[in-house]
This record gives sequence, C-alpha cells and structure tokens, in this order.
Amino acid sequence: MASDVTVDLKSAWADCMQALRTQARVIMALVLRETLSRYGQQKLGFLWAFLEPLLMVAVFATIITAARSGNPGGIPLVLFMMTGFVPFMMFRDPMNQMQGAISANKNLIGFPQVTTFDVIVARAILECSVLLLVFPIILCLAHMFGHRIEVENPLGVLAACLLLASLGTGMGFLFAALTPILPSTRQISSTLLGRPLFFSSGLFYTADSIPPPVRDWLLYNPILHMLELLRSEFFHEFESPHGDWRYATFWSLGVLTLGMLVHQSLRRRAIVGL
Amino acid sequence: MIRLEKVSKRYKTKAGVRTVLDSVSMTFPKGRSVGILGMNGAGKSTLIRLIGDAEPADAGRITREGRVSWTLGYTGGFQQSLTARENARFVARIYGEDPGYIEAFTEAFSELGQYFDVPLKNYSAGMRSRFAFSVSFACDFDYYLVDEALETGDARYKEKFRRAFEERREQASVILVSHNEQTVRRNCDMAAILHDGKLELYEDLKEAMHQYKVLQTRQAA
Repeated sequence: MASDVTVDLKSAWADCMQALRTQARVIMALVLRETLSRYGQQKLGFLWAFLEPLLMVAVFATIITAARSGNPGGIPLVLFMMTGFVPFMMFRDPMNQMQGAISANKNLIGFPQVTTFDVIVARAILECSVLLLVFPIILCLAHMFGHRIEVENPLGVLAACLLLASLGTGMGFLFAALTPILPSTRQISSTLLGRPLFFSSGLFYTADSIPPPVRDWLLYNPILHMLELLRSEFFHEFESPHGDWRYATFWSLGVLTLGMLVHQSLRRRAIVGL
Repeated sequence: MIRLEKVSKRYKTKAGVRTVLDSVSMTFPKGRSVGILGMNGAGKSTLIRLIGDAEPADAGRITREGRVSWTLGYTGGFQQSLTARENARFVARIYGEDPGYIEAFTEAFSELGQYFDVPLKNYSAGMRSRFAFSVSFACDFDYYLVDEALETGDARYKEKFRRAFEERREQASVILVSHNEQTVRRNCDMAAILHDGKLELYEDLKEAMHQYKVLQTRQAA
C-alpha cells in the first residue's frame, strides 16, 4: 500500500517536472521567435531598442532646457530624463506588447503545447529583458559622452525597475486577456492610460516641484512613486520625501496578481474570441 | 492508442448552445488509419482539435499513447511573418527535437528551394501545405491528425508525398476528418461518421460510405 503511494507520488512528480520542462522549452522558443520578428526583420535590427529612448531624452531635454533653467532635484537634466524614460518604458512596453500577444500568436496556439499564458509571458520576458539591457548600456553611453555617472545603490535601482516591470506585466496580462473579448480595451490602454500616465508619472519633474494639492493627487499614481524611489536610489544628490516602497510594491504585486487571475479565468473565452 | 471516454463539447453561439460532441467514446487503434466523415458544420475540426489537445473538452477524458502531431490542414500552425526555416526551427524547439535536423529534413523534403527563406505569408496554399506536411514528417509522429487536405502540390510531388505517407503508415496512424468520401477512401482503412454529436465507427469502409450517402440524401431531402 505504502509503496503504491510512493510510486504514485514519484510519477506525479516526474509528470510535473516533464510538464515544466516542456513549458520552459515552449516559452524559450516563443521568446526567440518574438525576438526574430521584432528585431530580425529591419535593417537596423536591435538598434531600434535604443533609438526610441535616446530620441525621447534628446527631444525633452532640449525643450526643457529651452523653457527654463535649473536642473530638477539638482540632477543633471539628461540623466534625470534617462532615469525617467527608460524605467517608464519598463512599465509601458510590456503592457503594450503583451496586449496583442494572443491575436498575434493565434496560429501557434494551435500547437497543443503552446498556451495563451506562454505567448503572453514570452512577450513580457522579451520586453523586460531588452529594457534591463538597454538601460545600463544607455547609461554607459552617457558616461562615455561626459556625464559622470555614479549609481548610489544599484540594487535599489534594480528593485525599482522590477516594480515597474511587474506593474507593466500585470497590466499586460489584464489587457492580453481582455482585448480578444472586448476589442475596445485597446483604446483604453492607449488613450485613457498611455498619455495621462506619461505626463503624470514624473518623467520630467520631481514630485517635490509640484504644488501640494496637485501633488497629493499625483501621488496616487504608483509609477510616480517608483520613479521617485528609483532616482533616490540612483543619485547621491537626490532624496525623495514622497516615494513610498510599500505603496509601490502593493500596487505592483497587486496588479500582477490581478492580471494573472483575470487571464486565468478568461483564457478559454479569449481563444474562442479569435 | 488514442482513447476518448465520454467526451462532450458544447459551444455557446448566438443561436443558443450547440452540442458538437455528446458523450462520445471511441478508441483509435495504433497502426490503423481512420477517416472521420461529417457534413459541413458537424464539428469535424473541433473533434480533431480535441484529439490533438489543442482545445479542452467540457467533459470526459482523452488518453493519448505515443506522439501526436498538431492538426495538419489548410489552416494555422505557423507564424506567417517568419520564413519556413524559422518556423521549422520553432516547431523543433517546442517538440524538443534537434532544430538543425528538423530544418535540414524539411528543407530537403519540401523542395521549396529559395522559398524556404521567404516568409510564409508569400506562399501559395499548395506551398504552405507542402511545408506543413514536411515539418510534421520530420518530427516523426505516431499519430498524424489531418483536417481535410492531404494531397498537395504538383503531380510529381504528390507521388513522392503519397509514397512517403504510405511508408509512414506502417508505423504511424492517421486520423483524418473530411466531408469528402474520396479523401477518406484513398487514405484510410476504416471510417467513422460524425453526426448530431454522435460518432459512429465502421470497421468496413464500404459500409461507412454507404451510411454517409444515406445521411447525405436524407439531409438533402
């Protein structure tokens, strides 16, 4: 009797490991395929990953320099921008790219081992790892071009980046599951969320520079907290009195959990909706 | 073998709930090629997708022994924006095969030449199915699931393909769904009819053809 149970447990464990190995293999293959279709088909290839943030930083740094003098929070303007845009993209890009994951991969979901979860996660992995790679490279470039960069607490910066990526991934799961069922979700993510968040998350200002009544409202936005925290960990000369790790983490993990739960409960309908 | 035990599948449509499979039980023996006949809308594609685990059943159990292919046919399966080479490597990876081998086999067998490095969206229907079948041959399955189409390409390639398929049938089985008796007659040695959520198996191909005819006439009347 007892040995039967052991054998049963053993084979269940083996089945479980086998399933995990298959899933890991599938996700890896999907990440490769996403990489190929994203970067393999244009002439400039992987350079695209750098062009957008660099261009944005250049444009906004120029505008702000022309509009006023002085550096936000005592931080050199270009570095201030870089520590706003690229981390913001760690939130935005997973959200945007994951949204279309199911419809873009509907053919591949016909393979029995490829699930909606796999195609969504593959995009999250690609987006997050590209930006985690792009961020230090851009900083090194800035360093080479004469902006002295000394990171106060690299692990703290990484933690803030992960909070942003996890928030974006959670939103990505949510939208990925909802879009096939409710196509209007696409407008919500781009119009209702994209632009307002871009301007209310402190990409080009510190929370402290905003007058108190407005600031109190803005501080409901968890991304503003994350960017404040990130810059506090990054620069010796800047310490935000507003960034709250607990508030940021609560949002980040909460949205990630919510997104995965919504995907889990809608995934069957999402396939039928294709 | 592949065994279906009391498998049910329903869809909600605007016209109400439609039952595609109503507690269907059936065993597909290894080494036999089974054709499943059904008229348009009978749920053939759904059935083969259930067998291939591309979709979950609402109730019942499906057990599979051996390696089962994905559903081969007109639709689906590949990333249209990628080339045949990239798709072949992708398939190899998700099935845990050696990408180099699968790629080489597919390239040689499909005879697509330069088109092997062109995105699939630029393919004709014939080239597309030629590619799909070549990759599935490369993977060496125990069961090949086919939705409608089997023949592909020009006469010479058709012949090569038919011979390769014949050879394979000695070790592998085919489960094919079609509305066309000719396709079933040519490729299968037993047949079943899917009608009204029920699946009826006939050991004798002739008997199945006869029943299918009867069904068609009754439906037309």
